[in-house]
Amino acid sequence: MRTQRIFEQYGVVLALLILVLVNAVLKPAMFLQPENVRNLLNQSSYIGIVAIGMTLVIIAGGIDLSVGSIVALSGASAVMVLNKNLDRGTMGVAIAVLAGVGVGTAVGAVNGFLISVGRLAPFIATLAGLVAFRSVTLVMADGSEIRSQSMDAYPAFGAGGIPLPFVDGAGRNLILNWSIVVWLILAVGAAFLLARARFGRYVVAVGASERAARYSGISTGAIRFWTYTLLGALSGMAGVLLSARLNSVASSTNGLYYELDAIAAVVIGGTPLSGGKGRVWGTVIGVLLLGVISNMMVSFGVSNYWQGAVKGAIILLAVLLQRGRATD
Amino acid sequence: MLEVRSITKRYPAVTALDGVSLAFAVGTSHAVIGENGAGKSTLMKILAGVEQPTEGEVLLDGAPVRFRSVREAAQAGIAMIHQELNLVDELNAAENVFLGREPRRGFAIDRKKAEQEAERWLHEVRAPFGPRTRVGDLSVAGKQLVEIAKAVSQQARYLILDEPTAVLSERETDALFDLLGRLHGQGVTLIYISHLLDEVLRLCDVVSVLRDGQHVETRPTAGSSPAELAKLMVGRDLGDVFPPKAHPAEANPILEVENLQVPGWVRGLGLTVRPGEILGLAGLVGSGRTEACEAIVGLRAHTGDTRLGGESVRLRNPREALRHGVAYLSEDRKGAGLVLGMSAVENTTLANLRAYGGFTIDRGRQRRATDAWIQALDVRVGDPEEPVGTLSGGNQQKVALAKWLDGKPRVLLLDEPTRGVDVGAKREIYRLVHRLASEGLACVLVSSEMPELVGLCHRVVVMRDGRSVGELVGDEIGEHAIMLLAAGVEEAA
Repeated sequence: MRTQRIFEQYGVVLALLILVLVNAVLKPAMFLQPENVRNLLNQSSYIGIVAIGMTLVIIAGGIDLSVGSIVALSGASAVMVLNKNLDRGTMGVAIAVLAGVGVGTAVGAVNGFLISVGRLAPFIATLAGLVAFRSVTLVMADGSEIRSQSMDAYPAFGAGGIPLPFVDGAGRNLILNWSIVVWLILAVGAAFLLARARFGRYVVAVGASERAARYSGISTGAIRFWTYTLLGALSGMAGVLLSARLNSVASSTNGLYYELDAIAAVVIGGTPLSGGKGRVWGTVIGVLLLGVISNMMVSFGVSNYWQGAVKGAIILLAVLLQRGRATD
Repeated sequence: MLEVRSITKRYPAVTALDGVSLAFAVGTSHAVIGENGAGKSTLMKILAGVEQPTEGEVLLDGAPVRFRSVREAAQAGIAMIHQELNLVDELNAAENVFLGREPRRGFAIDRKKAEQEAERWLHEVRAPFGPRTRVGDLSVAGKQLVEIAKAVSQQARYLILDEPTAVLSERETDALFDLLGRLHGQGVTLIYISHLLDEVLRLCDVVSVLRDGQHVETRPTAGSSPAELAKLMVGRDLGDVFPPKAHPAEANPILEVENLQVPGWVRGLGLTVRPGEILGLAGLVGSGRTEACEAIVGLRAHTGDTRLGGESVRLRNPREALRHGVAYLSEDRKGAGLVLGMSAVENTTLANLRAYGGFTIDRGRQRRATDAWIQALDVRVGDPEEPVGTLSGGNQQKVALAKWLDGKPRVLLLDEPTRGVDVGAKREIYRLVHRLASEGLACVLVSSEMPELVGLCHRVVVMRDGRSVGELVGDEIGEHAIMLLAAGVEEAA
């Protein structure tokens, strides 16, 4: 009974450890190399940032399908602004970053407004956002790619970070990318918000019982609005960081399906889609689990086409394992 | 004959039935009476296949049966009309009567046949509407007729009715009793749940009394008086249950409401309460009592003047209300009163969370405050950090009360505070309300339980159709007087 509970609580961690172990044993030359770990973290960090905001939205009883399109839209906005401010160097990069994050925050606020004041179903409101924001991005790029014309400052920002005491194959110091740093800081911040802050308590209350929260004097509309706005801001950050790493934004594929990966990570991490409870660290593990699986399939030479099937199986497995907890 | 033998039903927090044995003979009209929480509804749900007993067995014509679903009970000839009707508003009467057992022709539903048959059954129960009437457009009485038509169409031999008149007007009640009399004459055995003794004596020939989950007595109604039955139901004098009334000190009203209007519900209600006073708000279901309270704390759009301590205020939501010292304990404890998935600590401080820190919550202080409330209200919780969903009704209600008391209100609106609470906890809640009032809190008590209003209130305002239709003070407060006003009956001089 007790062990079953522990298994349900920490099963995801166990699953991640097992996968890491299998990888480490079967591909010792590859997997646990600092460079590979860094790459894995870097690849996971963009969805990881989005998934943190998604966790709060889902705990508050909502859902946001538009985040992938927000990533693309804010990345494209950042690059466009950057290209207009090339002569300002680092200052230009800062302006671009602010513009991108600002656009993400603004469209997140639009989602939140439609849902809280307009009383639209979150699924519908953000479904509209999913198609509309992508479409605006396509228009901005005329259907192709927006390339950054910055040769130094922006790509340097994308590749930059905190130097690590490891070297890569070419003997250079490994860098812990800004996206990873941002991801981890945000994860700690969101976990704190949820556990200790009044806002976090209200988020849980609204998701667990909207009516009881309203009768207790909580402005449930405002709480919901802020969860979507926050998620918009985080999607904006992810979009900007991703555009900096690639130094361009492909309007049709940038951020594509991020909403699905983010939702999957939240659910795998143990936050029920019905809301009312949840955990940020679980989402971080969920993102890592998805990342390790991709990494593993590449290193084992499995066709890319199989990835979806494996992800699907993992999602189902995670939900089935967690179902026991809801009924005890 | 339908029989139960030593039936026990335990829920995680309460034992609803404790070794009850009862027999319902064919052709009788058998009442089961008891106070709220006595176990009547649970027993009937077991008979109708809604709930499974923890122990004991059900026998039909001498053979043990086990109904795992409502459908199985219906096939055995047992149908139940629940307090909350189970109809689909969007479907019409015929579709509701045949829901789940639609007549078919090939793959398609045979609508024509369904409507013809339904028409016959609706006629049988003298429904004044046709089979194509959308159920959502019907009154509660009309919906009840659809339910009864459904039961009759299933050839029910045993018809269980759970307080069917609670939501009916007097005329509708008469019509229902005519219908039940007719069905009874056709050989249907009636099992009638109520706590209205006059009704029971009028309709039934046998009555069984339940108290605190146990069977007290079964006797013929002939020769029984309401007073005798009441005594069997309560098992003690009311004086035991309610503390002696204290007289509030003379003081200016703390809450004054004038010409309160809530569209569709309240039409020009006026109220005043003084510190230390317990004001009863009586009336039938749908008379606008809950809506008036919800409007006062800003949960419903309304017009009218609200004054607190003589000062005009506008309360737009429960937070503003609490800031001005007005708190509302909802009648819907599980849906609106508490977040069941949250702990006692989280619930207790939810309405007043700002007092525990601006951005971050001081969890130590929060825990100490909750512990103090747990002690003050005698809440029985294992661990205050566990979700309140597992607590008994009485303890949940105390947590909900603590949530509002933590905001130090001057006026407390209590809406059906003892609904779904066992008898012991009820008594504690009465004493608590009494104590709070004697400490100077102004209380408004909305209740459908007459003894509560009579036993606790200094003054009772009776509502009908969204208006105040009378006020009773001191010794005038009595069940009969309240009922006459609430139902709109002129007393014959």
